[in-house]
Amino acid sequence: MIANLIVGGLAAGCLYAMVGIAIVIVLNITDIANFAQGEMAMVTTFFAYWLLDSVGLPWWEGVTLAILFGLVQGIVIQQVIIRPLIGSPVLSAIIATLGLNIVLNSVAGLIWGHQTYTFPSPLTFMPPLMLGSVPVPVTSVANIVVALIIIIALTLFLRFTWTGLGLRAASQNQTVARLMGISITRTSAIAWGLGGLVGGIAGILVAPALFLDTNLMGALLIKAFAGAVLGGLTSLIGVFLGCLALGVAENLSSAYVSPSFGEAVTFLIIIAVLVVRPEGVFGRVKVRKA
Amino acid sequence: MSAAADIAMSRRRASGSVAALVIVACFALAAAAPFWLNGYGLYLLTLTEIFVLVALGLNLLTGYAGQISLCHAAFFGVGAYATALLTQKAGWPYLVSLGAGALITTAIGAIVAVPALRLKNLYLAIATLGFGVVLQKIIFEWRGLTGGGGGLALTPPRIGGAELGATGLYYLTLVLTALGLWVAWNVSRSRTGRALRIIKESEIAAASLGIQPARYKVTAFAISAFYAAIAGGLFAYLVRYINPESFNVSLSIAFLSMVVIGGLGTIGGSIVGATFYVLIPELLRGIKDAPGLVFGLLLVIVMVFMPQGLWGMARRVVGRR
Repeated sequence: MIANLIVGGLAAGCLYAMVGIAIVIVLNITDIANFAQGEMAMVTTFFAYWLLDSVGLPWWEGVTLAILFGLVQGIVIQQVIIRPLIGSPVLSAIIATLGLNIVLNSVAGLIWGHQTYTFPSPLTFMPPLMLGSVPVPVTSVANIVVALIIIIALTLFLRFTWTGLGLRAASQNQTVARLMGISITRTSAIAWGLGGLVGGIAGILVAPALFLDTNLMGALLIKAFAGAVLGGLTSLIGVFLGCLALGVAENLSSAYVSPSFGEAVTFLIIIAVLVVRPEGVFGRVKVRKA
Repeated sequence: MSAAADIAMSRRRASGSVAALVIVACFALAAAAPFWLNGYGLYLLTLTEIFVLVALGLNLLTGYAGQISLCHAAFFGVGAYATALLTQKAGWPYLVSLGAGALITTAIGAIVAVPALRLKNLYLAIATLGFGVVLQKIIFEWRGLTGGGGGLALTPPRIGGAELGATGLYYLTLVLTALGLWVAWNVSRSRTGRALRIIKESEIAAASLGIQPARYKVTAFAISAFYAAIAGGLFAYLVRYINPESFNVSLSIAFLSMVVIGGLGTIGGSIVGATFYVLIPELLRGIKDAPGLVFGLLLVIVMVFMPQGLWGMARRVVGRR
């Protein structure tokens, strides 16, 4: 029983983690909590669905194109909406992403309507793996693997390339980074592009587990934020583990406490952790000298 | 005194008296509202004033002290439920339960502030969001008292034996909003207001000037919760049916947006932001299919072109900074 609940929680948690990673890339480099991340991913997923269903591309080609679309979408949004806001109060940019969230949701509603679609996945009909006597869905395993691959790739990119070094510099101190010849508008565009790309992958992995409709990401977004904060926003692996822990905590508390109060218990745990460790479990204190 | 300074002074005095005139005109117009508005218009105006109260309180916390809160919908809800239950079930007079409900919520606000003291930015946002969820779920689960998910239907309140209708509630809201504006104006210019602004700039600087950030942050949370609760108590009797579901995260985010759209750290911004949030969706209702689309676009456009908010922009255009 408890093993089943934990596996179920991990399955939900890795969906949060995918969105959480996309959010944290943008957040760390630009300081902007992107409330539109979920809807950007939703639009990317719908684009993938359109490529597969109406255009008739094979799964891998359609999905690859859609993920590239996610990248371009992130850069375009950054150029049009976020770039003019560099140097303005961060809350203004956050409210702008909130507006964008509403816009993307309405646009998707206008194009694709409000019915639900079933997003195809090559893994849907595979039998679950057995871990002892506990069935583990293949999609969950695949999601965890993909999330880990993304984290490793991003870590390598941030650590061993010049561009990555620029991004890390910009995330620490924008003024000094500019003095070193790093273009803040460019790092910001790269961050949003990466966010859109990872968000797109998240959407495509999430959609077969849930149903594809315009509200695909609504519930995931807040959970992803919460899980990311729990793990610590400065560490990608922290975000990943925080989101997994959140999923498990949620499943256990709704099973053992009460289905509706379970959510409150989860948040009480998060608050308790934050009181002890205000920067999240794996987070490091970001020193700001003003 | 030099001529230039003299002109500047007289200009300042002139713009001051213009501002006073505008304020008086606004209140005269608002006081006469029941005579020139129909029932639905009066409802919207009352709702706007209620949201102005919430925005004033939240602006003190977010705009002045720089602390993000995503639990104001819950404060609003606790205020609404406390007022409604004290009036309806305990049989207290409406105004007394309004005050008592606000005091209860103020205490909750101060309690929430304590664990929030160490947190910043998004961490604070998520922690306050968590408190909001917890408060909302407590209202939901305490079925014996609150009626749970079924909600609570309310009968019109009585003040001094007379039933308080839509017009009466409107005037009560107007008076309380005016009071709220006056208090917020004074707090923002008091020792507390100045302390909050320094805390926003730098807590270290504040502490080195002998300001205790913790004490002032708790004060800001408490005052802000008080405003939200008074607004909630009025809201409950405006709509006469409350349900825990209405006091959710989206409402908290809407409150925060009002403050930012209007202008962080300005009294006028709270008024403009709340009005924007109530009236624009009403105006857009006629547009087929896409009221959300246009509203979202407006949010983006206002933020991209006026990052200081509508009020900040207006101030810049008028040239008073």
